[in-house]
Amino acid sequence: MRAETSSPKSGETTWLWLTKLVTGVLVIVLLFVHLIVNHLVAPNGLLSYREVAEYLALPGIAFMESTFLVIVIAHALLAMRSVLLDLKPSRAVLSGINWSFLLIGVGATVYGIWLLQVIVQRGTAG
Amino acid sequence: MDVPTSSKTRSSANIPLWLDVRGRKAGMWAFIFNRLTGLGLVLYLCLHLVALSQLATGPQAYDSFIALAKNKVFALGELLVVAAGFYHGLNGLRIALNSFGVGVPRQQALFYGIFALSALITVVFAAKMLFAG
Repeated sequence: MRAETSSPKSGETTWLWLTKLVTGVLVIVLLFVHLIVNHLVAPNGLLSYREVAEYLALPGIAFMESTFLVIVIAHALLAMRSVLLDLKPSRAVLSGINWSFLLIGVGATVYGIWLLQVIVQRGTAG
Repeated sequence: MDVPTSSKTRSSANIPLWLDVRGRKAGMWAFIFNRLTGLGLVLYLCLHLVALSQLATGPQAYDSFIALAKNKVFALGELLVVAAGFYHGLNGLRIALNSFGVGVPRQQALFYGIFALSALITVVFAAKMLFAG
């Protein structure tokens, strides 16, 4: 078996590669916490609007879920970019990919955090 | 670096060759499964965000969606996410460790172990999600 290691590829800086690696490990850690907290707080799962709102209104949960969201989006987009680098895009295409992914990442993060805030406010109000 | 990446011999011009399964070794299969599960999880992330947007619409819309999602087809989809998540996560840890020189001589055994563990976890989840209750 060849050594399946990971290292920066052409078009990927060391920082981007390292961020992809670190966010990947953090996703696993936060996913574990996310699942444990979900099952401890709601043993049968969060299966109704009221349960989700009450869960997100608990102290620290919104912060944990926001952090999870940012890290998952960052890892997903960096990994997708890495996949696309294997297709050897031209400099112009790569620039388009970079800007598109940046916009998608910022958009998804802002949307996700806005959604969390809406539900938290409804949970604390109700 | 010796990544079994498609970029070395298979450019975008000959994508059909990517689908040729002949002569591939364990390292390439680990790489292929990692890619496929990763792409699947990105698709799930998009669908998950869209599904959660029902929360903004209000209680009725979200509860209706959850009621719709309580069927075997959705459960099967969730099972695929569980399987992909465990394999991608465990294999990702292996790659990360190997990248820093940890466990390189045992990477093939680790891959087989990860594959077996992921399969076992998937079977346990399948029993709970599809057949329990």
